[in-house]
Amino acid sequence: MKIIKDKVAKLSFVALLITMTAAIFYTPTASAHGEKSQAAFMRMRTIHWFDLNWSKDEVAINETMTISGKFHVFAGWPETVDKPEVAFLNIGIPGPVFIRAGSWIGDQLVPRSVSLELGETYTFKVLLKARRPGDWHVHTMLNVEGGGPIIGPGKWVTITGSMGQFVNPLVTLTGDTIDLEDYALDNIYFWHALWYAIGLAWLVFWAKRPMFIPRHIAVSSGKADTLISAGDKKVGIAFALGTMVLVAGSMASTNEKYPVTTPLQAGLMRGMVPIDMPATSVVVKVEDATYRVPGRAMQMTLTITNNGDSAVRLGEFMTASVRFLDADVLEDESGYPDDLLAEEGLTSSDNSPLAPGETRTVNVTASDAAWEVYRLADLIYDPDSRFAGLLFFFDEDGNRQMVMVDAPLIPSFI
Amino acid sequence: MSASQSAVRSRAEAVAVSRTFDWMILFTLFTAVLGGYHIHYMLTGGDWDFWSDWKDRRLWVTVAPIVSITFPAAVQAMLWYRYRLPVGATICVLALLLGEWINRYMNFWGWTYFPVNFCFPSNLMPGAIVLDVILMLGGSMTLTAVVGGLAWGLLFYPGNWPIIAPLHVPVEYNGMMFTLADLQGYHYVRTGTPEYIRMVEKGTLRTFGKDVAPVSAFFSGFVSVIIYFLWHFFGKWFNKTDFISGENV
Ligand SMILES: [Cu+2]
Repeated sequence: MKIIKDKVAKLSFVALLITMTAAIFYTPTASAHGEKSQAAFMRMRTIHWFDLNWSKDEVAINETMTISGKFHVFAGWPETVDKPEVAFLNIGIPGPVFIRAGSWIGDQLVPRSVSLELGETYTFKVLLKARRPGDWHVHTMLNVEGGGPIIGPGKWVTITGSMGQFVNPLVTLTGDTIDLEDYALDNIYFWHALWYAIGLAWLVFWAKRPMFIPRHIAVSSGKADTLISAGDKKVGIAFALGTMVLVAGSMASTNEKYPVTTPLQAGLMRGMVPIDMPATSVVVKVEDATYRVPGRAMQMTLTITNNGDSAVRLGEFMTASVRFLDADVLEDESGYPDDLLAEEGLTSSDNSPLAPGETRTVNVTASDAAWEVYRLADLIYDPDSRFAGLLFFFDEDGNRQMVMVDAPLIPSFI
Repeated sequence: MSASQSAVRSRAEAVAVSRTFDWMILFTLFTAVLGGYHIHYMLTGGDWDFWSDWKDRRLWVTVAPIVSITFPAAVQAMLWYRYRLPVGATICVLALLLGEWINRYMNFWGWTYFPVNFCFPSNLMPGAIVLDVILMLGGSMTLTAVVGGLAWGLLFYPGNWPIIAPLHVPVEYNGMMFTLADLQGYHYVRTGTPEYIRMVEKGTLRTFGKDVAPVSAFFSGFVSVIIYFLWHFFGKWFNKTDFISGENV
């Protein structure tokens, strides 16, 4: 007897553990710090985010901020990743610390998935309303079906205040003003509690009498039929009929209370309008490119031809959200995240203005700890060891031209 | 008759011990079902059950009953043939809903701060009670599978409608129409659940127009019948005592 009791107790304990694991283990993804673990080629050869602006560093509960900028859909999209034919403009935050009050590609609100074209550049804007206090890393993000999340740069934003003050008021098309934060919550609790109580009552009805051993003995000795009485059947019928009446009745009263309802809205949105980037008059040919592992620097030999009518200088090389600037040409005034900004990370063997019609071959070096910190150097271990990025040239009037580069990369270990 | 053959000395003691066993077995069954059923339901029903903006008229209505009739069928098989207890489905759903509510309240809301009105579970209780009562009245697996399975599928949507209807009220937002549930999905950012993963309002039932929910419910009921049979046999097999030695078990 004691042994069996112990065994049952042990088994109960195991079951309890399983339960706890099952119940407590699952939490929807809250973290948004996957940026460094994402394969370098994914970050270099898919979406290039630029001209980014986080409108605030600190924002109070219920106040809004925007993240805006442009993204270029790289024409040399890797074959191993599905093309962004079904993509969703997301935001990389740890759970709903902000609510996404709006998001646009061009002028189009994009609450649903969209279709994007390779080689095009789009403007975007995400409007966020602060909900939960704390310091949060806020990333731009685009999810691509068959490709996964493509995470852009992140910047720390502080939310102040208390979450209890957060409200999310809306006016429905039926004219009611509601707060979506706790709308219909009582109704949800009420129906779940009511049905739980009914189910519990049915269980208690049977658990009030001896359950397992005596019933098992009765069943094994052929007296199973005596175990369900006529009275039990009556109670059962009452439960079943009551259930059906309650389902039908509550459905009818709900329809009366909410005469206007619509199905969930879904479906892919097409026809996103890209922006016209200024025509490029600079042509760049990558002669070779090496990554020097000990120096954490990438060296490129570029042959640059200026077909325009104004002299140009190279101001920036950007790849995987890391910006290497030539301080003589360009200074960042947008408050770009420090860890992704190499203010003097770009040097050139000759960066004097390149006159119209002139061609020059230069050695350009992009060096910064970010190569290691952001694990971009891992690129050399990728199956297709290529790099890609954007070069920005500036003429004397400050006009900018964007030129894509995409070439093999040879590692150098000495 | 020696002491080693019986652990109890009187009838009263036997009754007390038997009652203790009742509670221990019930507790064990409840927690084991909670764990197994909960994991099973999360893996198969998953997002359809997690989020209000997945609770549509087509796929949620179809998928949720089909994947949730599994454990009730198996546990019914065990409790009915061994103990003539018509509570298998109800115990399963009570256990599942308890586990789900703990998860939604502690994790979805308490840890990640998704509002509860966005991540509440589906209600499976009406189908469970009817399933148990049909088994009790008919005492037949076939009848329970056919009538009960169908009822399980049919009762699901109306049983949940009072809970989700308020979230299907339309709203205009930045020049587009949403249901409030859609807007919840848009507002309360899920980094790991991009919009295209959402499988709602898709399928081949377009020709039925507005009445798509009843058609989906019927289809779900038919498949539930088959799944009931299948899992009923799992339950019977799992419930065999072949692996325990001893007589009269
Ligand atoms: Cu981050």
